Amino acid sequence: MPGIDRRLIQNFEWPIFLMGLALALIGIVNLISASPERGGGLIPDTAWRQLVWMGMGLGLLLATLVLDYRTLERIALPFYGVVIVLLVAVLFFGRIVNGSQRWIELGPMNLQPSELAKLALILLFARLLARRSSSAPIGLLDLAGPAVLVAIPAALIVKQPDLGTALVVSVVSASFLAVTRVRVSSLVLIASAGLAAVTVAWFFFLHDYQKERVFTFLNPERDPLGAAYHSIQAQIAVGSGGLFGKGFMLGSQSQLDFLPEEQTDFVFSVLGEEWGFVGSAIVLLLYLGILIRGLMIAHSSKDLFGAYLAVGIVSLFFWAGMINVGMVIGVLPVVGVPLPMLSYGGSALLTCMVALGLLMNVSMRRYIF
Amino acid sequence: MNRLTATGSPADAVVERRLTAVAVLVVAVWMLLLTRLFYLQVVQGDVYRISAEKNSVRTQRVDAPRGVITDRNGEVLVGSRPSFDVLVVPHETEDVPTTLSRIAGLTGRDLETIQASYGQPRGRGRFQPQRVAHDLDRDQLARVEGRLWALGGVLTQVTPVRGYRYGDSAAHLLGWLGEIGAEQLAKKEFQNYRRGDIIGVGGIERLLDTDLRGRPGGRNLLVDAHGRELQLLSSVDPEPGRNVVLTIDHRLQQVAEEGLTRQHKSGAVVALDPRTGEILALVSHPAFDPNEFAIGVDPARWRELTTDQFRPLMNRAVQGQYPPGSTYKVVTAIGGMEEKLINTHSEVTCGGWFRLGRRTYRCWKQGGHGVVDLQVALVQSCDVFFYKLGLELGVNRLAYYARSLGLGARTGIELTGEMAGLVPTKEWKERRDGTPWVEGDTVSLSIGQGMNLWTPLQLANAYASIVNGGTRYRPHVLKRIEEPDGRIVQSVEPEILGELPISPATLAAVRAGLVGVVHDPHGTGAVMKSLPGGVVAGGKTGTAQVVALPQGARADVEDTTHFERDHAWFVTYAPADSPRIVIAVLVEHGGHGGSAAAPIAREVMTRFLENEADLYAGNRP
Repeated sequence: MPGIDRRLIQNFEWPIFLMGLALALIGIVNLISASPERGGGLIPDTAWRQLVWMGMGLGLLLATLVLDYRTLERIALPFYGVVIVLLVAVLFFGRIVNGSQRWIELGPMNLQPSELAKLALILLFARLLARRSSSAPIGLLDLAGPAVLVAIPAALIVKQPDLGTALVVSVVSASFLAVTRVRVSSLVLIASAGLAAVTVAWFFFLHDYQKERVFTFLNPERDPLGAAYHSIQAQIAVGSGGLFGKGFMLGSQSQLDFLPEEQTDFVFSVLGEEWGFVGSAIVLLLYLGILIRGLMIAHSSKDLFGAYLAVGIVSLFFWAGMINVGMVIGVLPVVGVPLPMLSYGGSALLTCMVALGLLMNVSMRRYIF
Repeated sequence: MNRLTATGSPADAVVERRLTAVAVLVVAVWMLLLTRLFYLQVVQGDVYRISAEKNSVRTQRVDAPRGVITDRNGEVLVGSRPSFDVLVVPHETEDVPTTLSRIAGLTGRDLETIQASYGQPRGRGRFQPQRVAHDLDRDQLARVEGRLWALGGVLTQVTPVRGYRYGDSAAHLLGWLGEIGAEQLAKKEFQNYRRGDIIGVGGIERLLDTDLRGRPGGRNLLVDAHGRELQLLSSVDPEPGRNVVLTIDHRLQQVAEEGLTRQHKSGAVVALDPRTGEILALVSHPAFDPNEFAIGVDPARWRELTTDQFRPLMNRAVQGQYPPGSTYKVVTAIGGMEEKLINTHSEVTCGGWFRLGRRTYRCWKQGGHGVVDLQVALVQSCDVFFYKLGLELGVNRLAYYARSLGLGARTGIELTGEMAGLVPTKEWKERRDGTPWVEGDTVSLSIGQGMNLWTPLQLANAYASIVNGGTRYRPHVLKRIEEPDGRIVQSVEPEILGELPISPATLAAVRAGLVGVVHDPHGTGAVMKSLPGGVVAGGKTGTAQVVALPQGARADVEDTTHFERDHAWFVTYAPADSPRIVIAVLVEHGGHGGSAAAPIAREVMTRFLENEADLYAGNRP
């Protein structure tokens, strides 16, 4: 085949591919159990749709491998622009579900631009950092521009409102600081600015239900109907799974519909109940495998853009995975962040698979030039 | 593996060192998650397994009591009343079909309705009581309670339901409740509502829903596998809704409603305080009983209400648009005076008819009124005087003065669905019909027939501004909103919309005419004479043609079918020198204003004055 280097095939990145595929398949099986409506066949609608998305994701993943990731450096800016336009458009034309306006209807599918925003920011920052000519530590002034670049999409996403995704987008962007040299004084200032921003957000931007969730985390007795209820039920479900779990489709908490949002933000509790500690540990280890392998890919990357790209993707999986699982097992407040690869949601799955594709892309080209 | 440093830049070295640190951090966090998971599932696993299998946490919602709506004197119009319900817990009922049919037998309710309310509970729903019969009377309740020992899984329960104390009284104003709709839930403004929530649908209930509803509380109960409550884990008390005080005086409201009911006619009554814009009565008849909706409306009944030819769901006081009839003549009079076409001494001879081109327009009085000036023309409602004057003014100047009184535009009352009415202009007719405005149109217009359309509220508010000295207020029904402990959250102050661009002399001349309508021996509003305390009132009658009749002829009331009869208007105010109330009455197809509408206005006025007298005498209502 023209354009495909033989070495590319020899160096196929199997670990990421197999771990990602395993997670996606576990996700589908888990969704079958997590779907309350089981109309005609064995496989409910939601799981079917997710399977279709997964197929598309797989195709897209393999297709992007052909493309050299370094060409992405050039489209980073235009892609960011397109995502901003989509985020503005969704506020006007988006479909509203449960009071949030997050989706753009595209025929039978719904596109969630905030998912694309995650990729856009990772590409953008990888490019900015890779292109940095000066080797001096990054000062506060250097951070002003990037801060604005994060704030625009984050604000648009908060407006939908989707606090969870806005949070992930922000922390993933901020995580790039971990792999750059930043002046200590700047870090202190950033921390205080962050604190100020949280204060302002609290008083001016957060919706009551969002504040309620924070209060509830601090004091779970406060709202037995809302967030605390989710948290308590999720912990009962996970805990009752025991060592080996109750078995596929046999989780009483899940099947009796005690669980909230069991297809999206709380899928992990269904997994925990039905597959026990063994099942959930395997899934957590698969994530850990992807994270560590991702960091190795960053380490061995031939160029800085590739290294930063890999770091960004690892950071995305790290934060989303940690916040979601932490919420389900009661160590973090209830924030609406989907679990990568496992939660129901086409745009999210597609974004994750493309991200894994990029990771593989970087890995497979480490010997080429 | 050390390819990165090979490129040698310092940035690369930083990345490399940091990556190791990051990897350590990632592993550490994941170990924490795994440890917590191990603790939950393996160490505490048995505890949670028992929680899940033997017991479960049942969350019960405790609804907040909805705020009370009172009139201006503290009379409770909308509150709560107990409803006795029968519930069935699916999980504890062995033979559901038999149980349901026995409940149907005991309560006398329709079995199909009971089955429909029971639904097909699944999953968690099987542990939760399903309400199968709502709002039983005492006898039905006694029969069910007497058999409870034989009906496993059946409970009775008292729940508060919204109670409209006076049935259909002020129904349009108060509104009613219903379950929130799917399309509402999809909107951002309703994001704090949940499926199944009860929400105000019309009137004040809808307008102030967020104040009235309060905040639901909840209880987390530990229940066993049989659904028995073992332990209260936690609870949050509901926050009761805020109370709403209206400007309405319910005694006036009732008098007006009784008046329309007695006549068996549809219509509307608006009474307001011309000094503030506070609405004292807002009646639309026929009405409906919001209590019927409080427990879920029967579809057949709903169809009946929506297809009734008298349209009981429509709030005629703010949504009904009617030709003004002779109540319009004040507009023509004001225009003539302001444009200096007439003064109070200008005279016209009425021979009983007015000729324009080949058409003859008759005065309502055969043989005519003889020589009339403005005072006589208003008092006796002489048509010919206003035909001539209107023609001189022209349609657009008439429209200007009508609009300056707030006619043909929404008054801005809080209630949703207010209609704007219509004040026609030359351009408007050309746009709508494609035919030019002709002088004949102006002639009809100047006595209030033709294309004008006003709502009863507009008419009342326009007259209020004429009689209070020229100030237009925004009419309102909300007086204040209070917390359950009585603390005032919001208090509505009178809002001035503007001053009339009309001279005091003109307004005085018009008011003199309006007083003459009541007190002159030839006046058309003599019904309002000799009020309690000798109070002097002013007013104006109006008869609005519904069907265009052959040239100038007026229909004989007895000869026409109901829906072809004229609408009857009467608007009145008192005391004449410093008015405290304006009342507008519209009786649909009532015939003549003086005979159909004025008596109702008199009853309301009498009641108002008597209430005031009581108040001064120290008898609090």
